[in-house]
Amino acid sequence: MEILENKEQWSADYQKSWVPNRQATGKSDWSIYQKPKNNKAPGRPGITLSQSRLMLISSAGGYLPASQQPFDAPSPYGDYTLRTFPSDISFEFLAYAHDHYPHEMIDQDAQVALPLGHLAELVNAGSIGSLTPSVASFMGYQPDAARVVDKLVPKIVALAKQEAAEAALLAPL
Amino acid sequence: MEGIATVIVAWNGGRVRLLSVPRLLITRLARGTVFGRPGDPAQQCRVLEMALSLLEKNAPLEPVYIKERL
Repeated sequence: MEILENKEQWSADYQKSWVPNRQATGKSDWSIYQKPKNNKAPGRPGITLSQSRLMLISSAGGYLPASQQPFDAPSPYGDYTLRTFPSDISFEFLAYAHDHYPHEMIDQDAQVALPLGHLAELVNAGSIGSLTPSVASFMGYQPDAARVVDKLVPKIVALAKQEAAEAALLAPL
Repeated sequence: MEGIATVIVAWNGGRVRLLSVPRLLITRLARGTVFGRPGDPAQQCRVLEMALSLLEKNAPLEPVYIKERL
């Protein structure tokens, strides 16, 4: 099943309308942006969480400033790269490169977007089998949905397979 | 996602709903938070555990709405 139905048509429309308008005006005109849509949701069997490995996937723009480049948060065309950081990280080692949400709440308490402490407690309680070693992290301002499908999603899927994830919790900000 | 059970937690449910994802939990929170108010672990855990519970159900599910708000 396609991640984005009619991806080619959506991409052609995006390249013919939103992108040139942005280039010509220097402004993002969301009135001409076609929101990505699907008509059919994929079927998937449920899992037994207490016996499963869970991956957290976050769009908060989290990265490790000591060792990783920040996302290109100011770009009007988005950033489609992936970062990873340990699921047991201390939040003091994280920074957030994302210009499209207010940072007051995540700066005050990172668990509003990255509930890693709560997830660890659920693992310790036996409610979750385990967490993947890594969190998949990207910057969620990504107007080019086709590029998300072609560039970002395969990287996330590869990471999830590499770390034997059986379930994923997606937390878009 | 290639055989992996997924659930999305969203405060902007209308937009995510357009994507017809397998499992979607929609809150009444706001931009800048997914799971709840800062410093409110009880609320964060309620949202988190509700989302995780959906992973145990066969998909696709109708979006689930909860009244958690700032």
